[in-house]
Amino acid sequence: MAGTGLAPLRDRPDVLLSVEELTVEFPVGRHDVVHAVSGISFDVAEGETLGIVGESGCGKSTVARSIIRLNKIRSGKVLFEGIDLASLKGEELRRHRPNLQMIFQDPISSLNPRRKVRDVISEGVKIWAGSTGAWSEGRIDELMHAVGVDPKYGDRRPHEFSGGQCQRIGIARALAMDPKVLICDEPVSALDVSVQAQVLNLLEDMKQRYGLTLLFISHDLSVVKNVSDRIIVMYLGKACEIGSADELYENPRHPYTRALLASIPEPAPTVDVSEGNIDGELPSPITPPNGCRFNTRCPYADEVCFEVEPQMEAVGDDHYIACHHQVAVSISS
Amino acid sequence: MADILLTVEDLCVRFPTDRGVVQAVNGVNFQLEQGQTLGIVGESGSGKSVTAKTLMNLLPRSADVEGKVTFDGRDVRELARKKEDHFWGVQMTMVFQDPMTSLNPVKRCGEQIAETLRYHLGHNKKKAIAEATSLMEQVGIPEPTKRVRQYPHELSGGLRQRVVIAMALACQPRLLIADEPTTAVDVTVQKLLLDLLDDLRRDRGMSMILITHDLGVARGRCDEVAVMYAGRIVERAETETLFSDSRHPYTNALLRSIPRIDQPSHTRLDPIPGRPPELIDPPEQCAYAPRCRYAQTDCLDSIPEVGGVAGQHIYACHHPANTERGEAALAANLAAGETATGLKIHAITEGVH
Repeated sequence: MAGTGLAPLRDRPDVLLSVEELTVEFPVGRHDVVHAVSGISFDVAEGETLGIVGESGCGKSTVARSIIRLNKIRSGKVLFEGIDLASLKGEELRRHRPNLQMIFQDPISSLNPRRKVRDVISEGVKIWAGSTGAWSEGRIDELMHAVGVDPKYGDRRPHEFSGGQCQRIGIARALAMDPKVLICDEPVSALDVSVQAQVLNLLEDMKQRYGLTLLFISHDLSVVKNVSDRIIVMYLGKACEIGSADELYENPRHPYTRALLASIPEPAPTVDVSEGNIDGELPSPITPPNGCRFNTRCPYADEVCFEVEPQMEAVGDDHYIACHHQVAVSISS
Repeated sequence: MADILLTVEDLCVRFPTDRGVVQAVNGVNFQLEQGQTLGIVGESGSGKSVTAKTLMNLLPRSADVEGKVTFDGRDVRELARKKEDHFWGVQMTMVFQDPMTSLNPVKRCGEQIAETLRYHLGHNKKKAIAEATSLMEQVGIPEPTKRVRQYPHELSGGLRQRVVIAMALACQPRLLIADEPTTAVDVTVQKLLLDLLDDLRRDRGMSMILITHDLGVARGRCDEVAVMYAGRIVERAETETLFSDSRHPYTNALLRSIPRIDQPSHTRLDPIPGRPPELIDPPEQCAYAPRCRYAQTDCLDSIPEVGGVAGQHIYACHHPANTERGEAALAANLAAGETATGLKIHAITEGVH
């Protein structure tokens, strides 16, 4: 695994956001660094939903947070409409941020408990529009209505709402800025199954209504398949497979993707359940393995995997993997 | 029929709160055979964990419990009154959701397993540690002699949960209650842990109650599944029957609302409208009626009795899905555009966004 290389980047005029060789490292202790994200490249076209899946610690949230510069970027580019967000600072960066908004996993703790939800939703607009005029009040009502929260409850505080409703309020807050890209970090993981479907449908409706481009992060493979056009599978800070949602589940090529799909309680029919038995632990991101980062757990690993890092390569139409053994895997399937 | 290990009859649990009495569990009945796995599924607040805690005698004193629990012919609540310590943790044990909070952070893993053995079985320290090492090996922990001396924070989430499982198995229990045992771990680890629990259960002829909100987990790992809603079991059947021929509209709706891996991407989901009811002073009506596509006026008049075939497939509904009566109710509601509770409904459109 391991996927470096710019191969997955598409040369299309409608690419809205393009991440090139993004590397994020966090210092720990006196000398060590956590290699959270190591040289990942992908792009998102306008109106597309890109899903990011992987186990905890694979760097999927770090990628999302780096795009809106919530953490420091070690190197690499984040091109949004041709402008490299990674190189911006201060006021310039601030000006671009309304275009990219985020919704978070825990709907209740991501809202300020002391504020009325109407104020939570309108705060960004007030800062940017510079006034609290009637226009913004009308717009807040419209947004609350759009996400399915009755505007007459606008004076209540977050604790008076259920988790599902708080997530709707979080979505309204993000939409208030009229963003182009909505980054959703595990938006339904904390919700009950019956409410999860409501929020997923809402996101889909909002995407159509406001012409959004979505980045959708989740560890739930069925949820990601449902919402995404394209999916990127991550492992230990690297991309291992990128492809269209239907193609990736029908024809998974990377051993790690196959292991993931074989592990879900009702496994995908395209993989053998035994492929889900990947032993061992996730290696430490402080000292990631040389060569392919998946080599410690991969059933196909051989000498070359321990020495040479595989590059992202096309294996089909808009389908890329980083693995030395793609051929062997596709024959066994 | 095999031997019945556990019988729960008319179990009710109430908690007094400042806002009123919460009816957390409201008349739960089930039986569990020796060596079988019963899955309990439901959303948060449906009463599945409270049921488990009642069985384990872990409720706070303020809880008001009614009903009868019989384990292998012994009255479990009588044992609780007599403070019969060597029942829980020996005959009946439990694995909790979050291994980090169910392990003591300042005690070595081996000692925590050994503690169980020393307390319940009277092993001396040396023997208990040796036994703990062997248990760690049985639950698939690599290098048990090293791990036995480590603290919980030195282990990964999956290994920690294996330590918790080892503790639960230490005294050869006959019933293991696993409350969301894999909710805090990744999908690859989840598979390994569920495989482990399956193997251990089979090898030891143990019975298991597996509590989960994940319908896929229940489907893959249980002999029988009970669906809980608002403190009641609304449907219970053999696993395959429940998933292929569900009768309760809630089960039906739950199955339709989850995204499935075999559907193409952007398949429109069919969510359940509204949200679970308040459990304080619930009205004398079917608790699911306000969200139900099948609801008729009689659903608002009385709480439905449990029907179906006892011991095989039971459900508590006035207008069960996939029956003549139920489908007629649904057809009438669709024609009217709304149910007896005023819920607006329309035909389910299969389709892609």
